[in-house]
Amino acid sequence: MVKEPKPSSVLGDLGVPRVSAIAAVIVLAAAIQSTVLSYATILGVIPQVVLVVVMCLAFTDGEKVGLVCGFFAGLLQDLQLPEGSVVGLYALVYTLVGFAVGQLREFTPAESVWTPVFTVAAATAVVEASYATLAIILGQEWVGITFTVKVIGLVVLYNTLLTPLVFPLVRKVADRFRPERVYRW
Amino acid sequence: MYRRSGRGRLLLLIFIALSIVIITLDFRQGQGGPLARAKDISVAVVAPIQKGLTTIFRPVGNFFASIGELGRLRGENQRLKAELDSIEQEIAEAEALQDEIVTLTDLHDLDEPWIAMDDVTAQVIGYSPSNYRWARFIDKGRADGIRTDMAVVNAQGLVGKVISVTEHTSEILLLIDPRAAAGARIEERRDTGQVQGNGESEGLSLELIDSISDVFEGDLVITSGYDQGIFPPGIPIGEIEEIAGDVRRPDQQIVVDPFVDFTALDYVKVLLDTGPNRQDRAEDR
Repeated sequence: MVKEPKPSSVLGDLGVPRVSAIAAVIVLAAAIQSTVLSYATILGVIPQVVLVVVMCLAFTDGEKVGLVCGFFAGLLQDLQLPEGSVVGLYALVYTLVGFAVGQLREFTPAESVWTPVFTVAAATAVVEASYATLAIILGQEWVGITFTVKVIGLVVLYNTLLTPLVFPLVRKVADRFRPERVYRW
Repeated sequence: MYRRSGRGRLLLLIFIALSIVIITLDFRQGQGGPLARAKDISVAVVAPIQKGLTTIFRPVGNFFASIGELGRLRGENQRLKAELDSIEQEIAEAEALQDEIVTLTDLHDLDEPWIAMDDVTAQVIGYSPSNYRWARFIDKGRADGIRTDMAVVNAQGLVGKVISVTEHTSEILLLIDPRAAAGARIEERRDTGQVQGNGESEGLSLELIDSISDVFEGDLVITSGYDQGIFPPGIPIGEIEEIAGDVRRPDQQIVVDPFVDFTALDYVKVLLDTGPNRQDRAEDR
């Protein structure tokens, strides 16, 4: 009798410890974003470190893990916002960016730390601009357009600065809990 | 290889659909839908970590800020000790006056003044993670008597109102949020209107009902108490910073500079006799 290959779960070949470790990283990032990084702002702008974590995970693990982590991380961020924000919008945008960054990874040199830095810079700009546009379309009360442009610029800057710190940490956690059979280097 | 990316695409479609379902649910739900419960859970998970991080990093931040000022601190300490004596005397006088106000308002069956209300002091433990919404999480909740729609103040003036409560945390919407508004009037002139938030870097905008009123830069703006019982009258909001356009025309722009420094909120007071409690009492009468 031919043994059927074990169907991989939604998150690919992830075990329970790995899923918990990734979840812990996302929750910790959300807590840091809303405390430490909220007082250590650049000109009053809070970096979106949860987004950086999602993109780093997509970079180390590919589009499937990227989009699923993007969805849950985005939803967590949505649920931390005060009423009147569109719940589910960060989930949608982060899902898309998790997938896109994961796909992009196949066309870029994996070992360079600069690749994730540039990717984060470009993707943050796209994410922030799409979130603002969609929120306005969906009828959310919004601040002025010059303010929005300033915020997007500073978030791109701050996220980019954080990536060289966040990326090695996320990769360490992702690799630490990787099942043994996966090739490590 | 092809099948692998195909599965990725299917998964993408599933999660996009899920996000859209959540957005739809959010638009359709009233109070206390499934998303409200999910929000309570997510806040309950993140709040303890936020509280821990705040406890660790707030003093560190203050330490670094003050490390270069040790020399100056000694002189300042002496000066402050001298000041403390006279302030203590002023406090005693103010308390006597406050007692008198409470006695008089009881006697004339007036609304309780906000300074005499019971309050709960709470520490700010977390910020809204967005750059476009201004809210704070505090470390007191339903167990401490806090309910939705209560007014929040600090020593400088009006901070905002409570918008959601869990057992041991609450979320307050700051007055600078674009969705926040408060009934306001100009002190001494009785012109009423509404102040509205425009985000952190901007002043509040004041719209007066009667646009023929004479307003001047530097006028004090306080709460009017006319907004369905959320904010009691007389809480300082800010002062008029700029009046643009013709005051006699409806498109006049009055900018109010708030007294509260919203970037440095550490502790706030929730007024327990506002919100639902104030409405209950109004019905009793």
